Amino acid sequence: MNQRYSCNTCKSADKLLEGYIAELPMETSHHRVEGQSTKCAFGLQGVCCRLCANGPCRVTPESPRGICGANADTIVVRNLLRAVASGSGCYIHVVENTARNVKNVAKTKGPIKGVSTLNRLAGLFGIEEEDIHKQAEAVADAVLQDLYLPEYEKMRLTEKLSYAPRYEKWKELGILPGGAKSEVFHGVVKCSTNLNSDPVNMLLDCLKLGISTGIYGLVLTNLLNDVVLGEPEIRLAPVGLRVIDPDYINIMITGHQHSMFTFLQDRLTDEDVKEKAKKAGAKGFKLVGCTCVGQDLQLRGAHYTEIFDGHAGNNYTSEAILATGGIDAVISEFNCTLPGIEPICDQLKIKQICIDNVAKKANAELKEFDFANRPAVTDQIIDQIVAAYQARRGSVPLNLFPEHGNADTLTGISEISLKKFFGGNWQPLIDQIVAGNIKGIAGVVGCSNLTAGGHDVLTVDLVRELIAKDILVLTAGCSSGGIENCGLMTPKAAQYAGPKLRAVCEKLGIPPVLNFGPCLAIGRLEIVATELAQALNVDLPQLPLVLSAAQWLEEQALADGCYGLALGLPLHLGLPPFVTGSKVAVQVLTEDMKGLTGGQVIINGDAKESAAILEQIILEKRQGLNI
Amino acid sequence: MKRILIEYEKCDGCKNCSAACMQAHRENPGTIYDLDLGDPKNESRNRILKDAKGQYKPLFCRHCDDPECVKSCMSGALYKDPESGHVLYDQTRCGSCFMCVMNCPFGVLKPDTVTKSKVIKCDFCADAGGDPSCVKSCPKKAIYVEEV
Repeated sequence: MNQRYSCNTCKSADKLLEGYIAELPMETSHHRVEGQSTKCAFGLQGVCCRLCANGPCRVTPESPRGICGANADTIVVRNLLRAVASGSGCYIHVVENTARNVKNVAKTKGPIKGVSTLNRLAGLFGIEEEDIHKQAEAVADAVLQDLYLPEYEKMRLTEKLSYAPRYEKWKELGILPGGAKSEVFHGVVKCSTNLNSDPVNMLLDCLKLGISTGIYGLVLTNLLNDVVLGEPEIRLAPVGLRVIDPDYINIMITGHQHSMFTFLQDRLTDEDVKEKAKKAGAKGFKLVGCTCVGQDLQLRGAHYTEIFDGHAGNNYTSEAILATGGIDAVISEFNCTLPGIEPICDQLKIKQICIDNVAKKANAELKEFDFANRPAVTDQIIDQIVAAYQARRGSVPLNLFPEHGNADTLTGISEISLKKFFGGNWQPLIDQIVAGNIKGIAGVVGCSNLTAGGHDVLTVDLVRELIAKDILVLTAGCSSGGIENCGLMTPKAAQYAGPKLRAVCEKLGIPPVLNFGPCLAIGRLEIVATELAQALNVDLPQLPLVLSAAQWLEEQALADGCYGLALGLPLHLGLPPFVTGSKVAVQVLTEDMKGLTGGQVIINGDAKESAAILEQIILEKRQGLNI
Repeated sequence: MKRILIEYEKCDGCKNCSAACMQAHRENPGTIYDLDLGDPKNESRNRILKDAKGQYKPLFCRHCDDPECVKSCMSGALYKDPESGHVLYDQTRCGSCFMCVMNCPFGVLKPDTVTKSKVIKCDFCADAGGDPSCVKSCPKKAIYVEEV
């Protein structure tokens, strides 16, 4: 029998997974939480500065300023702006590659699977072009041109993709973004050594980066991918470790760039490629979803039923997915590909291939995605994976877990498919909100971390509290992966909702938690919010709608959060974003923001308390709307 | 008798012990996130110095067997608890003469920065059940409690 690696694993909301990981013979992130439990107080508060050789400087009673004279406010907000700029850069990288893919597909007259999304974008951008390939190229060009503008020229699509009252507010605050890539540049310059020391000025930059991240990195990435990869369709799908079928050659995919798999996922179902698998002794190939790119594939799963069985789990489930022994290769293209998968891949002879050098893993072979050479490179990748399958199967023990997860998670929800579900407009949803059957909407989005109570613990507990209060939950990001594996996205989860929401869900046959897929789909969720506001003729901050990134993890999440704040939405975080050392930052983010954009940050690590605070905000907003 | 022992070679100078001490003795309750790290009212009872060779020297009250601070205290504010062996401080009896500060051979005692009327003195986290917060927070285990 395998020996347990250690008995110190962290908690998970997913009790089956917690038990599985505790028994594993190898180390995972869940094992490392204990050893990292002593946290640096200065780091937690964001008051450690190492921007120059005089540092690191820390704020203490004897030394309230760094050697340069920077006080806690300057140190904290400089650190925050660095993180937001970096997070924005990540999403802008994703949308840039996505737009380039659309352009390349269009130029080579490749398949356009989402014609209605393409028409929608062309209409918004004012592109008059009959030929769909020319139309797609023009759409992609319009996005790319904006991304590459200098910082001092405002992006042209921002107004076309924004809700008018918001656009006016941003204009008034002077936070309309210039070229998205240049804004990242501007942000990192601004917070470098002995440049900006004005915390409020830098916080405004965070909002500006939030806008470019949200509209381009989030909203447009989804829509551009829909053009090439197909639009989401609502359906039920299996989730969890059960999706791994050992009869196939299994490829786990991690990252955020679905566009990079466009060619591969079609190629894997071609007869000549399937024949390669059969010769090696397998039935064929399967992609196993992990992290947000898995969520994206699941979202569009209706178009890929042969190659894709389901989403196995989020970022901190990836080690467990590999530990099943059923995965033969990992293809990664972005975060959240944990460095911790490397020793496990080594041990279990799992081939690691990386297709984008920004996320090159130490063990992985770099096979950069190259549109022009995609047939040759893809076939090389496939051959290497077949070789890995032959080398490892039989010699590596399987530790499958077919009981994990569930068979009927509702997926494929987008701003379009959900509206279609409601009959083509939002009125039925608005009626339920007005009648009080749905008290309000909470977007529980973003990552999963291991420290806010454990893996998905705060997220899942908060969702349970919110639905029990008749608040409909919409999710996007790794939070979705945890919530779905805990069963809250199956139609029968309606039983956990409060009586009014339960009745609505049971009538419609839907769960009380609706999964929009990857973190990128926070953009879709915010389209829903905007359309609801439009239908009611109010501005976004007036809606009975709140956001929670309960278990935010990464710098990208902070950039997303800034978009939420720019939209004027209340944003709950389970752990503070390393800002509490600055009184100014705390004051602006939690209080003064209400007067600036209408948004606010709420920091609370307790599920019950957080749900009560969010419910109170929803009730106040309802009162404001006289409903 | 429990004492805090130090293996100074292990110290990285991270000051987590100082932050933990500040958190343990703050006036208003709260979390480590909202502790005002710059407020002199929250000053720490321990310190980390660096010697001429660049080696960190964590400075903690030794709760000495033959405490000079107690011997020099004229008002009886400082006393050695016969049961625990800890050197304790009764602020209500303190005359603020600071002879203890003058006589501490390790230089660990100091007047409080804000009022200069009392002594900043380790109480072995008596309010937290005598389990010192600094020791719990040290990531390198450079400080530890031992029965001597």
